[in-house]
Amino acid sequence: MATALSALRYAIRSRTINLHYTALLKSSQYRAFHVSRRVDVVKPFLLADIGEGITECQLIQWFVQPGARVEQFDKLCEVQSDKASVEITSPFDGVIKKLYYDPDDMAITGKPLVDIDIQSEISEEDEAKLAGGEGEASPADEGEAKMSSGQQEMEAQGGAEAGMAEAKEVKSDTPRLAARRPTSKSDHGTLATPAVRHLTKELDVNIGDVEGTGRDGRVLKEDVHRHVSLKSQKPETPEPSAKAPKTREDKRAPLTPVQSGMFKLMTRSLNIPHFLYTCAADVSALTALRKKLSGANKSTEQKLTHLPFIIKAVSLALQQHPLLNASLDTKDPKKPELVYKGAHNFGFGADTPHGLMVPVIRNVQDLSIVEIAVQLRELSEKARNNKLAPFDLRDATFTISNIGSVGGGVVAPVISEPQVAIVGIGRSKVVPAFDENEELVRKEELTLSWSADHRVVDGAECARCAERVRSMIEDPASMMVNMR
Amino acid sequence: MITWNRAYRGAHLSLSQRRWLSKLTLERLATRPVQSYISTSNNPYLNLSLEHYLLQKSSPESTILLLYVNRPSIIIGRNQNPWLEVNLSLLSPAPRAATNSEPELAGSFLGAVDLVRRRSGGGTVFHDEGNVNWTVICSSKTFTRDKHAEMVTRALRSLGVERARVNERHDIVLDQGERGGDVVDGADMHVTPFTRQNAASRPLKVSGSAYKLTRQRALHHGTCLLSSPNLNVIPHYLHSPSKPFMSARGVESVSSPVGNILLENEEFMGAVQKQFAVMYSESRATELQEVGLEWLENETVGKGYDELNSLDWTYLQTPQFNVSNAADALASTDVQFTVRNGTITAGVLRSRNNSAFSQLGEDSVGTRLHEIAAWSTALPRMFTGVDRAECDKLATWLESVLPPSHKTAGHS
Repeated sequence: MATALSALRYAIRSRTINLHYTALLKSSQYRAFHVSRRVDVVKPFLLADIGEGITECQLIQWFVQPGARVEQFDKLCEVQSDKASVEITSPFDGVIKKLYYDPDDMAITGKPLVDIDIQSEISEEDEAKLAGGEGEASPADEGEAKMSSGQQEMEAQGGAEAGMAEAKEVKSDTPRLAARRPTSKSDHGTLATPAVRHLTKELDVNIGDVEGTGRDGRVLKEDVHRHVSLKSQKPETPEPSAKAPKTREDKRAPLTPVQSGMFKLMTRSLNIPHFLYTCAADVSALTALRKKLSGANKSTEQKLTHLPFIIKAVSLALQQHPLLNASLDTKDPKKPELVYKGAHNFGFGADTPHGLMVPVIRNVQDLSIVEIAVQLRELSEKARNNKLAPFDLRDATFTISNIGSVGGGVVAPVISEPQVAIVGIGRSKVVPAFDENEELVRKEELTLSWSADHRVVDGAECARCAERVRSMIEDPASMMVNMR
Repeated sequence: MITWNRAYRGAHLSLSQRRWLSKLTLERLATRPVQSYISTSNNPYLNLSLEHYLLQKSSPESTILLLYVNRPSIIIGRNQNPWLEVNLSLLSPAPRAATNSEPELAGSFLGAVDLVRRRSGGGTVFHDEGNVNWTVICSSKTFTRDKHAEMVTRALRSLGVERARVNERHDIVLDQGERGGDVVDGADMHVTPFTRQNAASRPLKVSGSAYKLTRQRALHHGTCLLSSPNLNVIPHYLHSPSKPFMSARGVESVSSPVGNILLENEEFMGAVQKQFAVMYSESRATELQEVGLEWLENETVGKGYDELNSLDWTYLQTPQFNVSNAADALASTDVQFTVRNGTITAGVLRSRNNSAFSQLGEDSVGTRLHEIAAWSTALPRMFTGVDRAECDKLATWLESVLPPSHKTAGHS
């Protein structure tokens, strides 16, 4: 009887507290859930990013001097960057101890502006404005959060397992940065039935740490058990309660899954002796052709960039130079073998928010230029939204890197094992040139940079292939006669 | 021009008709979410003070538009160097340089031109009655650098100026050349049917932007060259003969070829007000409020006005720079000054032919550059033991490079 009564009382109390708590959290923005501490110590206040990618700005005038008392939102100084003059205000109450710049000096964003003796309660976000904590963890965090969901799908060229464990580690290691992450952990993480709460007490788990998968983010028994099993995997990290923000020190971070994959792959590529062959193609004819085609077709779906044309041209050229589409098998170092691949599976570099990914277009030799364009679009979309399947990333026989979408002239791309060649495409630019009548004409030039494995490919072979591709790009009509 | 009359209206009205700064007006400032103002004055010091007042005193979430036209004046950026950006010898009513070295100016000279240092950043611009200035003040939360440049471009396009677009530096330019073949999105303010990567001629700049950002508010103001009669003269004003001889910190102007849009001021102002109302007002129309000289009665505006007017603000806010005639091959004596906060902090004369050498006299340290009336009298006082002839030669050189200002304070 007594136990039932106390259990009931416990249930009611915890439920009321629970409701009160979540009501509190819901009424204010979740960022208000902060740990405030008195920090009676001098801290450097960093110059925040004022936008537009500006890295430094000129200090025009100070409104305070060392020893001055400031209140929150008092003006500290005025800085100037190209067109904008910006007033910087103090986020806390305190006393100014040191000014880092003289008027007219160039102040650098992200570096200390003043030393301030803080005499107020400061919140998490203000903490970040001081040295050491300024958000470098948060993009990595967001990356982790997204990555762990796509983790099961992505192989990321080997190394995913290690990456996964690392991701989970970083995630649960940062309960203090919960304010930054877009997950709703803080909001609903404490929603749970008394039974579950009892379980957490029993297993000595902080319910706030457990991610709820029930309705409204409720924490269920399975969630608690799962959390415990995960926790036992990773080493115990000490609760970083009174971690003093470091001043100007380096930050160690594990590689993201994409970075890990890249690290492993490129380390293997160190064994490949690369040689670089570049040639500049006149793409004026190609541009004119594209414009004509786009003009005829109003829909954006049909808009063609130069990339599908180049991809098809390379595929046509590789039919005459199959060596560059081969795969080098060095399993037995004494008896290396070349495997001449039948299919042309071209990998292309896709720049995504998580890093470089290389989706593969299969059987380019059987695709028309329009079909190639469609594939490019679809795979890029998938890459951006992190929806690539392992199948999409495997079995490339040749790689094309269109860094020209960002910029560049001559580039030196790195070959991915077991391929033997790669081509990098720069950004086209308009240059003056001479035509056959020695007249000055306008030409649009695009630089193609070929890298090949000199263990099996010699310069002449690569050069011949490159020149074939060039002539096809310069005269798109010549591609037609070779198409299947 | 209609605008001229409007701008002068306040001065011609009798006392009974003159507008008074009412309490109601100030209340409106503090509460209304969308406010649209037009200035009746062409006094650049007043207009900039009004702008600054609106920035500081308006309610944090409100959005404000202010339009004004200035009499001929040169407005330099917050942190710029007037000696480097402006040919100061042309500003004074009785220019000496104009008649001797630049005879073409003699006939078209503009008379008195004000020199004003504004509170926002950016470069130097020339204002006159063919140029309309627009200012938008909004909450810093919703601020982007392009937002209001795009609004003004929309206003221009609605008046048929289809060549107008916003460029990467947030200026408004008119694309030159022929219409291109590509179909262009009409709602995109950054491209026109005339835009092309390799344009035969550079686009003409018709509006420049500058910003002032405080904690809660963001001010974006820009010019708009509609029908300036002075386009051929402006380059002379904005080209300083001292450029090769100065090394300075601070923001330098980026010069661009400019052109007139050829619209009437009233037309343009109406279109901008309309776009502003469409963007911000629920009722798609906002009440237009006139502001003018009467606002000087307000203490804050008055103080700001006095500050902008003061020579101290105009000249002493200059970042540190050095002046040296090393680049002058014809000089026989090297002269070098270091100027900080508009005052001379160090100086040295060194003969190129012998080892004669003279340092700036102690009591001359701290001389305000703009207070030097004539170098011929000032230079011998600054440096002792220098040959009189050499001094005179240097004084002549300095007169052209660091022209003495003939203005007196309070010349509004």
